[in-house]
Amino acid sequence: MLPALRWATAILAGLVGALALVGAFMQVSRDRQNRHRIACYQDWETRLTDFLFKGTHDHGSFGAVPRADHWLFRDFLSRYQSTFAGLEADLLRQLYLDLGIHLSLPRRLQSRRPRARAQAALEIGAFRLDEPAEHGPPPLAKQPDRRPHQRLHGYLDLVLPLLEDPVPFVAHAAARALAHSRNLDYASPVLAWIERQELYQRERKLRVLAGFGSDLLPWMEDNLEPPERRPEPWILFALLVGSHRHRASLPRLLALLKIPHVDLRVSALKALIILADPTVYPAVLPFASDPAWEIRTQAARALGVLGGPSAIPELLRLMADPVYEARRNAAQSLVDLGHAGVSALTYVADDPAADRFARDIARERLEWADERGHP
Amino acid sequence: MSRLWPESTKVLVVEDDPATARIIQARLEMEGLQVFVAFNGTEGLEILHREAIDLITTDLMMPAMNGFRLVQEVRDLPPPKGRIPILLISSNQNEQDMVRCLAAGADDYVTKPISVQVLVERLWRLFERSRRAG
Repeated sequence: MLPALRWATAILAGLVGALALVGAFMQVSRDRQNRHRIACYQDWETRLTDFLFKGTHDHGSFGAVPRADHWLFRDFLSRYQSTFAGLEADLLRQLYLDLGIHLSLPRRLQSRRPRARAQAALEIGAFRLDEPAEHGPPPLAKQPDRRPHQRLHGYLDLVLPLLEDPVPFVAHAAARALAHSRNLDYASPVLAWIERQELYQRERKLRVLAGFGSDLLPWMEDNLEPPERRPEPWILFALLVGSHRHRASLPRLLALLKIPHVDLRVSALKALIILADPTVYPAVLPFASDPAWEIRTQAARALGVLGGPSAIPELLRLMADPVYEARRNAAQSLVDLGHAGVSALTYVADDPAADRFARDIARERLEWADERGHP
Repeated sequence: MSRLWPESTKVLVVEDDPATARIIQARLEMEGLQVFVAFNGTEGLEILHREAIDLITTDLMMPAMNGFRLVQEVRDLPPPKGRIPILLISSNQNEQDMVRCLAAGADDYVTKPISVQVLVERLWRLFERSRRAG
């Protein structure tokens, strides 16, 4: 019994020792990698500022980057590429292409590691690899290390399948890259991807769609199914009109208000609030009495923005709404109207005959306004 | 475009991303400006109390003290420090925060991704305007 116990203890100690050694080795290796990364970054930072602001910007003026460090260098460049525009962004793109980092993209887009796939997709978007030839890299003759017949276009087609990636952040990166290209050929699949997302995520994902720019809005008008048949994509349309402040879409927003769909009407009202065109006030007024509280809540904001002081009677009526959000928005709209609205609120707050809900919210908003120094 | 910055014009760059700060610093130093870099609003205020800063450029989203708080704190200082021109740098997704900053006293803004050329030009205009205003 005793020798067996000794053997078991020895084996266990050996295993623990081996594990400790492996752990220590991994730690040393990670430390070495980090030290290498820091040293590279420090060197490249200095060279990059020289390249951007002091150099001739010729091929090779940045200096060599060992092939083994290309993976580090592309992370390094991507950090800058997302922050800078204009001449600096063009120079960073040139540097990226000169070093031939893009040659590994097709392989990396199919990597087993999700982070590698996402990074590759983002690089294609950030370094605008599908732009026309006049913005492309220098002629091949000046780059002996580049493979002949290298095509820069077509990279976005390689990104497209990643929209179906099972890892959410990879699909998100792919959608961002496609939208960043502003190529409306990819609008349809990106839109379909957003529609497949959970409802609570859609407004957040709208930022991705905004990457296509305001040209997407006429495209949506021409290509989406009629809102009576499929209202969901039109919700995104309305929200995008708001985020782009696209006044040309105002007639379409008014048409969307006529579709009996709560979320669609709410989104259209949100966009109308942002566009703030007072001529649409009569079209918005009936929604203050809508049976859906979500619509009344948005209408309470819209009336104040679009109607000015003439909306005060309707806003006072909304202050007695059974739903708190509608009352709060109505009271806030009155505060935002300035003296006329605040006088109306003060009257309600001091009127013992006023609706109890209306009085409470009037007092609450007046205190809120007072704390912030509103009139 | 010729910009004749007075000798020893001092610019405070408040930016939490060292990579971005370094590029901005390098470009501003090329203009002959003396650049101080802080990685958040708190550090920025310390530098501001220590040095005779002429211009401030600040990111909006930062740890410890963000751009909005920094603008408020600077504007609460007595002149001349309380009147130093401030240029905001922000992503265009923070529009509401940017409006709050402008309302709190920031003078101008640029949105990310930024063109360093535009940034320098905006700083020059702010500097000229404040110099003319005395």
